[in-house]
Amino acid sequence: MRIEEKERGLLSGLRVLDLADEKAGFCSKLLADMGARVIKIEKPGGDPSRNIGPFSEGSLKSKTSLSFFYNNTNKLGITLDIEQREGKSLFLRLVKETDVIVETFPPGYLEQIDLDFKVLKKTNPEIILVSVTGFGQTGPRRDDKSCDLVASAYGGQMYVSGSPSRPPLKAFGEQSCFAASLFAATGVLLALRKRAKTGEGKHIDISLQESVTATLEHVMVRYFSERVLPRRQGSLHWNDVFTVLPCKDGFIHLTLFQQWETLIEWMDSEGMAEDLKDEKWLNEDYRQANVAHVIKILSRWTKTHQVNELFEQGQLMRFPWAPVQSPGEVLRSPQLKERNFFVDLNHPEMGSVLKCPGVPYRFSRGLIPKKKSAPSTGADNEMIYKNELGISEEELSRLISKHII
Amino acid sequence: MDLTRVLAGPYSTRILADFGAEIIKVQSKKTATGAESNTAPYFCAWNRNKSSITLDLSRLEARELFLKLVKISDVVVENFSPRVMTNWDLNYDRLKEVNAELIMLSMSGMGQTGKWKDFVAFGPTLQSLGGLTYLTSYSQDEPTGLGYAYADLVSGLYGVIAILAALEYRDKTGHGQYIDLSEYEAVCTTLGPTLMDALTNQNEVLPKGNAAGHIPAAPYGCYKCLGEDRWCVIAVFSDEEWNDLCSVMDNPTWAMEDRFSTPTKRKINEAELDTRIEKWTSKQTAEEVAKLLQEAEISSGVVQDAEDLSNDPQLLARDFFVELKHPILGTTTTDKNPIKFRGSKQESLRASPLLGEANHYVFQELLGLSENDIRSYRKKGIIA
Repeated sequence: MRIEEKERGLLSGLRVLDLADEKAGFCSKLLADMGARVIKIEKPGGDPSRNIGPFSEGSLKSKTSLSFFYNNTNKLGITLDIEQREGKSLFLRLVKETDVIVETFPPGYLEQIDLDFKVLKKTNPEIILVSVTGFGQTGPRRDDKSCDLVASAYGGQMYVSGSPSRPPLKAFGEQSCFAASLFAATGVLLALRKRAKTGEGKHIDISLQESVTATLEHVMVRYFSERVLPRRQGSLHWNDVFTVLPCKDGFIHLTLFQQWETLIEWMDSEGMAEDLKDEKWLNEDYRQANVAHVIKILSRWTKTHQVNELFEQGQLMRFPWAPVQSPGEVLRSPQLKERNFFVDLNHPEMGSVLKCPGVPYRFSRGLIPKKKSAPSTGADNEMIYKNELGISEEELSRLISKHII
Repeated sequence: MDLTRVLAGPYSTRILADFGAEIIKVQSKKTATGAESNTAPYFCAWNRNKSSITLDLSRLEARELFLKLVKISDVVVENFSPRVMTNWDLNYDRLKEVNAELIMLSMSGMGQTGKWKDFVAFGPTLQSLGGLTYLTSYSQDEPTGLGYAYADLVSGLYGVIAILAALEYRDKTGHGQYIDLSEYEAVCTTLGPTLMDALTNQNEVLPKGNAAGHIPAAPYGCYKCLGEDRWCVIAVFSDEEWNDLCSVMDNPTWAMEDRFSTPTKRKINEAELDTRIEKWTSKQTAEEVAKLLQEAEISSGVVQDAEDLSNDPQLLARDFFVELKHPILGTTTTDKNPIKFRGSKQESLRASPLLGEANHYVFQELLGLSENDIRSYRKKGIIA
């Protein structure tokens, strides 16, 4: 199929079947947002991930899962029971015409229903299968139950986050799922490049736990190189460079040691530098060793300011400071507005427009925002089954009555 | 060509390097300090499998050599403040003059446009700005956040996805392009459902510690176990799992009380429930709790520290860590890429390069400079 240059999305022509739940719905969303054609396949009746909050409130007809909505924008949606014999053969017909399958079933499930990678590859030797599970396809814990909380714990995120006098703290939102989806999408794109040379498909195995451990930044680096066991220390960053301090109207995230003389001059001009003016504080090692005192004096000063005063004035002096923004403040951010980060999506069921976070990149070519809302359950059944697989109206009705579609 | 520094950029190019791309990292004696010092463990972690050359890009002749390398490259990645490349006359418009098919990725805190574009930001700054620090807290009066620069790794992943998508596009159309990646926006994408909640419902979303929030689960959280600073997590999503948990705990009488009999009631009485559960967990090790509950098919696990991770049988069974020989630091241990291609030969991994280690290969073999040219560039402080 030839696509006119000006209409070509970055990944136009790439075909993806999405069998994933909330663990990796975001993986194929990343691909869909760049122009791939993604078909979400749900069980007849709809995927359980439609029941995960938050929900849009006050809608006319039905409440919509915003989590499902966000993870499934720009996708088509069909229903199919791949466990039933006829459903399976329909699925394999779709597999023939596809490049990528994303799935999140427990390891071994696809083999049980005779749809494992070997079978899929026989149907389509170029198929790329990406499996996202709690612990991966192998290893002693592969069959253990997982979720974002378990992945954060086993992955090492929680131990190093939170206050020392409180329990370890999980990252907000399903971060293990987002990280795993980013790795999974990267794996898909790497496999595509390999396939262009070899003509061969691949099975990619992504673990939520490993996705967490792989994004711990300093934690394993310091453990392996210095045998340091990183621990949680509240908002004070591991290297004591950043912390969060209170202002009149909120909190500022600031640096404690950078451009020290400029900082002290600024505080002193307001009569608030106290003993930090003493010569001994010019020594960075001394500051580091007495960080609690630095924080005490600094917070007396920050409390006399509005957050945005410190942010804007600080940035003029090249201090990497920022307000600790709540979601509401993020939405009002002038920078995000100016870059049109939020996009409007029509929501046919609600008969309204939903605003949705966009993508973090601007491509000079080929990024055509499709701006399609997440599909309602089975929204594209007619189009895919009748137009693409050539199934008759009667046959479709029969499959629907048998709960295969 | 890799002009990136510290973390977000180097992580992006490391993923490409892990899978066989030839990454030439441009360094200079002046800038190879701190986190960019070639023998810093932090540097070694993010720059394995790359080659290093030295070029002092503040010098015109160095930039001319750089342009020659751009000519024979597929991709240029940089994460300077937005002004730097333009000040050097090395912005995309200039680079595409020497290589029309080039893909250039600029990674910055705020993106290349907008009134904040020149603001200075690091990973933790952007976690605060993007809402992640506020939400990852016990309460709104005590913003806490993650204990590490997660945003840089998320940005790194987005960077590599952008490059690979642009390569796909180039394969089909022959066109290169410019990509502007904002780390602030990258953080925001990881809070998509929550931002939509705030947008659609005008809801004020508050931090809730480890509470499940929108997930219909109770008990759900982190519980103290036997030993110093040892913890487990438990997540119970259904009545069936609750009953199984009760039987693992030997059906204590409190668990049979009416106020814990349905998911809604357990949620309402969550504080009480958590106290009871913790009484039970605190008498055994986190490993024992996880084992007992997983046998009963309940989501549970150990809050692992770095030492636990280094000995984790699951990670070890999957060859998650690897030892690399570094010419100065000796044997170093690092984590492999979590993208696993089943049945494929593992890509071979090399330790990070020494400063200017590939100067000879790059300038002589790739650019065809003579020994004499190189010597003179060195003398003049261009290759330096």
